[in-house]
Amino acid sequence: MRRLTTAKEISWCPGCGNFGIFAAVKKAIIRLNEAGTPLANIVMTSGIGCHGKIFDYLNLSGIYGLHGRALPTAQGIKLANPELIVISFGGDGDSLGEGLEHTLFAAKRNMDITLILHNNGNYGLTTGQASPLSSVGYKGLSTPRGNPEIPFEPIPLLMEAGATFAARGYSAKLDHLADLLYQAISHKGFSFVEILQPCVSYNNTYQLYNSSTRMLAGLPKDETEAIHLAKDKDVNYLGVFCQKQRTVYHETLYGGEKPPAMSYEQRIEILKG
Amino acid sequence: MTESTVFTVLIGGKAGEGVKKAAQVVAHTLMACGKHVFQMDDYQSVIKGGHNFSVVSSSDAVVYGTYAKADLLISFDDLSISKHEHELNPEGLHFCNADDCSSLSTPALKLPLTTLMKQHYSTGGNVSVAAIAIVYAALRLPEDELQTLIAKEFKRNINENTAYAMAIYALVGSEAQIPFTTSAPNPARFISGNQAISLGAWLAGLEYYYSYPMTPASSILHYLALKQESHRVYAIHAESELAAANMAIGSIVAGKRAAVGTSGGGFALMQEAFSLAGMVEAPLLCILSSRPGPATGVSTYTAQEDLFFALHAGHGEFPRIVASPDSFERAFSLAAELLELAWATQSPSILLTEKHLSESCSDISLPLEDVSVTNTQELQPEPYNRYTITDSGVSPLKYPGTGNCNDDDVIKWNSNEHNEAGWRTDTSEGIIAMKDKRQRKAALINSLSRKNHRIAEYGHGSIPVFAYGSTALELREAMKHTPFKLVVPIYLEPFPFEELEQYRGMPAIVVEHSQTGLFTEFLINKLNIRPIRKILRYDGRSWDPVELANLVQEALNA
Repeated sequence: MRRLTTAKEISWCPGCGNFGIFAAVKKAIIRLNEAGTPLANIVMTSGIGCHGKIFDYLNLSGIYGLHGRALPTAQGIKLANPELIVISFGGDGDSLGEGLEHTLFAAKRNMDITLILHNNGNYGLTTGQASPLSSVGYKGLSTPRGNPEIPFEPIPLLMEAGATFAARGYSAKLDHLADLLYQAISHKGFSFVEILQPCVSYNNTYQLYNSSTRMLAGLPKDETEAIHLAKDKDVNYLGVFCQKQRTVYHETLYGGEKPPAMSYEQRIEILKG
Repeated sequence: MTESTVFTVLIGGKAGEGVKKAAQVVAHTLMACGKHVFQMDDYQSVIKGGHNFSVVSSSDAVVYGTYAKADLLISFDDLSISKHEHELNPEGLHFCNADDCSSLSTPALKLPLTTLMKQHYSTGGNVSVAAIAIVYAALRLPEDELQTLIAKEFKRNINENTAYAMAIYALVGSEAQIPFTTSAPNPARFISGNQAISLGAWLAGLEYYYSYPMTPASSILHYLALKQESHRVYAIHAESELAAANMAIGSIVAGKRAAVGTSGGGFALMQEAFSLAGMVEAPLLCILSSRPGPATGVSTYTAQEDLFFALHAGHGEFPRIVASPDSFERAFSLAAELLELAWATQSPSILLTEKHLSESCSDISLPLEDVSVTNTQELQPEPYNRYTITDSGVSPLKYPGTGNCNDDDVIKWNSNEHNEAGWRTDTSEGIIAMKDKRQRKAALINSLSRKNHRIAEYGHGSIPVFAYGSTALELREAMKHTPFKLVVPIYLEPFPFEELEQYRGMPAIVVEHSQTGLFTEFLINKLNIRPIRKILRYDGRSWDPVELANLVQEALNA
């Protein structure tokens, strides 16, 4: 098996939550590979931001796309070759700010892809501005008087939009996160994993998350309970909030398996016909 | 050829009355009588009500546009009368609705279209059926053929439609005397510019079309969506133009030929993705069908305001291809050619057209012989790098999870400036190496495109008349009324310098649908032409051929 880390020098800040995410992703991919998925069939897309740098470090094929557009690109790949496992990485600014519309629509379609959301609660790479997930009062360069907006609740938001798998992990709980990622990628349908990720430079949440995270006892019994637990203000529950089956987009489009492409000769015959 | 051999039918009514459908059936009827046809629909951004009209001009010779003066005018309502009753040729016939004709001020044959409709339909009714019956009666075409046609074209409520049509046919009787000769049926296809574009791109291997509806490009989305099963092409209505363009690039990464289509506003939303295509070297085909701007502008009319927008699409510097079809046949062959060229050079390309070509229809034979498709893949030894530096600037392509790559190949496309492996870089030498590699493709694009018809010339004359896109169609019809030489650059980027060198510094006339003369400015910049007259139109309408001929004649005489 090829190495999963490229030779590119890593430029995340020392202590960045992205290291934990990177390690967990590699663990999940090794497990997928051991379970029979060739690495050549796993493709990644990413947006722009600190999260996006994972594209350079993870030795997988794919496209390091535009800010906010990792999901449309991922969907274009999945439709063109449904046999590929497509994993999309996004930041909270990327997937819920610039690209919110795409995130909701990918879930609505139940595209058979996975969105891994690096939630560090700010725009790290552009020096710590407030993100769509920053708390009220968050002070950054663009909100010196404090963030006046309430944050989105990503798991309820994605569940409402149509995600058929939704989970939350924490970058410092590596084994648990790796297992969540494996489950998410293996799930048939749109999978969403929110990862609580401390940003050591602008939003250091290690202490908060070390004391506020708690594992879910199991899959919540229904949507109401899942949303209630996901929105808990005092406890950050970790685990799978939702897992259900719904027809995936490409199977509806193709009526099952994708038919083989037509040759030039077939095409010209149709036009001559 | 004289104007009198052209036979023009104009049908006017409210949106929702089936004016366009009626005109299509009339066009098919005229083709069955051996004629060449051109149909132009003038409609408002209204679903019900307002005023729509469709014109079909026909002739024994090829017709490149419609005439303002009708030989047969059919008015479903009073508004159509007031708009068009003065656009009748001296020998022409005007049939109007006796139930809605209060403003009629010229001679006309009044038929109680609404009263008869109420008699023949239990609910509702289809006045467009009446138009077909009027045409059949006026041209003295056989009653049994009308019956067959109505049954074939108006399937909902066949019995009521047929009875209504027969009643109108009988009522018109032999009153109408329009001289009309028929010959063997014209076997060509009757298709719109957008259909020709769709089929051309499809022949060149198009599998995915991503779009967000926007007139006048929407009918590409509709047409390809209908062809999903028969042509195995997938038309996806995305959440926005941004999504569409990025999805298309995703499908390209997976090795499939993909295109997007929109009008100016939607293409504005695709700018970042167009730039992405330049950076990641994605062969993205963009179909840009213009309407009057700026902003929402005039949704359902024609314009050529987006020339510089297309030429300068996307931020940053990178090679691209921009070309504009000057005919329905070229719409087909150019769409195929641009998709091919995009893939051969891994560069984004734009097919620039206008509402006038996109949505007008004509009889054409698809120029299949003008399309050549290659699928050669040159593979290189391991390890694979997506952006291997080459002399041509083109790096070999591999697609993840397909037969052309093995388990160790890592294929990394990158929107950041990157090294050969596709990892982000910001080193001085890294930036220069990759920018130079991409820019070398400009020379390749130029040399490969030279194999194609990059310009077209029609007619004869000492002073060239320049136009591009569907304005060339308008001028070819005008040319039937006054002789001149028409010169049409089909490729706009790369500019066909070699082919057009002979016109450098020459006095010339430029005709375009722009307020400020963008194309004129472009030609001055490229060829240093000396414009003796700019013939500009920017009201969204196409020219009447006779009117345009007079404008050109006047400019030539100046």
